[in-house]
Amino acid sequence: MAGPVISARELSLVFQTSDQPVQALARVNLEVGEGDFVSFIGPSGCGKTTLLRVIADLEQATSGTITVNGMTPQEARLKRAYGYVFQAPALFPWRTVERNVGLPLEVMGLDDAAARVARNIELVNLKGFEQKFPWQLSGGMQQRVSIARALAFDPRLLLMDEPFGALDEIVRDKLNQQLLDLWRRTGKTIVFVTHSIPEAVFLSSKIVVMSPRPGRIIDVITTNFPVDRTLDIRETPEFLAVAHRVREGLKAGHSYED
Amino acid sequence: MSAAPAIAAPAPVKPEGHTLPVVVICVLIVLAWYVAAIPMNWVVTGPKAEAAGGGLANLLLFSWNEARPVIPAPHQIAVELWKSVFMVKPWMPKSLLFHGWVTLSSTLLGFVLGSLLGVVLAIAIVHLRFLAKSLMPWIIASQTIPILAIAPMLIVVLGSLGFTGLLPKSLISMYLCFFPVTIGMVKGLTSPETMQLDLMRTYNASRSQVLWKLRFPASVPFLFTSLKVAVAIALTGAIVGELPTGAVAGIGARLLQGSYYGQTVQIWAALFMGSFIAAGLVWLVGVAERLILKRMGARP
Repeated sequence: MAGPVISARELSLVFQTSDQPVQALARVNLEVGEGDFVSFIGPSGCGKTTLLRVIADLEQATSGTITVNGMTPQEARLKRAYGYVFQAPALFPWRTVERNVGLPLEVMGLDDAAARVARNIELVNLKGFEQKFPWQLSGGMQQRVSIARALAFDPRLLLMDEPFGALDEIVRDKLNQQLLDLWRRTGKTIVFVTHSIPEAVFLSSKIVVMSPRPGRIIDVITTNFPVDRTLDIRETPEFLAVAHRVREGLKAGHSYED
Repeated sequence: MSAAPAIAAPAPVKPEGHTLPVVVICVLIVLAWYVAAIPMNWVVTGPKAEAAGGGLANLLLFSWNEARPVIPAPHQIAVELWKSVFMVKPWMPKSLLFHGWVTLSSTLLGFVLGSLLGVVLAIAIVHLRFLAKSLMPWIIASQTIPILAIAPMLIVVLGSLGFTGLLPKSLISMYLCFFPVTIGMVKGLTSPETMQLDLMRTYNASRSQVLWKLRFPASVPFLFTSLKVAVAIALTGAIVGELPTGAVAGIGARLLQGSYYGQTVQIWAALFMGSFIAAGLVWLVGVAERLILKRMGARP
């Protein structure tokens, strides 16, 4: 597809709360290209999740423009342009793994459901767990089910909101590696929200550093790590240099102050 | 950190039986009942015991075997139950099974109608926001009116329209039992997390898809909790519905006849029959709950 997958121009969002309006996003400009892996990183309240939700049409911007695949976010949502992975797995406890992954296919009335479900369960390495219910799986496995579910209808764009935030670091490392492999194999565009600097640097082709009050973008860093990188690159000087720049950006945005 | 103390393997936990506590409580109640029957029946039986020569043996004999006591002894109720259940043919008006069936049938019809109404109202309330504000006060008000005041009017009005027998009684059951179902189902249908609702939104799911694939399955545990309450009060409704009609059949009719003729033993037997039916119905709903929730992947 020609043109950027996501393009935001002077995007602002103000939440009206009971005591005072909160500027969640202030004049955000952003382009995400086909096949990019873009991370939004920043402290709580920097608007990273809000920006992702605006892209997904779960929130509406108050000013500025944004397009997803050249359409408004609402049109893109109605055309089922993206898969969304939430902070928690949000699986339906009364459905087996297989039927959870098949949920979007049922809703959308897509055919070939059984084959799609099997393919995506295999993609997240959960073959053999098709008939299990969510409570029988570990937290990491549940989140992998939710990734398979987001991929089930084969969207070109994957939006992920701190998907590994609730997991321990060992599991998180493993899933980061698996997610990177998945990105390399499928060539999907991924927008990924995180508050972990190593996670953002390791996964991304483009890191968007954000800062709170008001939520804004303060730095965009393009990385050039090899696509078949492994977790070992986190010890290299290049990796540390990028991580340092992210940290400096967060510092400049007063993210470490109260 | 100091060295952790050696940890003994925990003893395997045995599931605790319910039988012993239940039996102990039942025995205590029966004993208290026998003791209480002596002073409560004194007015009737005291003089008779005196006339027979007095003494403890005579007092107990008369207190526990009076034909029309203030409060019958447990064995009298048991004998009456035995006679009216097993010693007469079940289709005879003397059989408690016959009366039980009459009440049970209108209970079940009222329960089904009331539960359906409850679910439909809850779905409407959850989907049409103005209904939550406009309908809910009426639903709550409906339950503050004494059913004993409504029942005769309803029976008379329906009777003049040509509806008699089963249906008016069932409507009273329905009137009582839709309420817990509505309240429980409104809670259940709104129980899905924001994330799950957002997920359906990202799929551009229709409202009916959200209802049938998310809200309704999420509400099933709430539904069964409500149904257990509903089935018990449906029975109450059916019995109350039998009182003002002057019905000749049903647990309620049996209670009424008993009180006309001072047949306390008969009243108590009918009462017990009613509670056996209620316990059975609640138990059946519980069985259905376990089966269905198991199929829906609930933790054992």
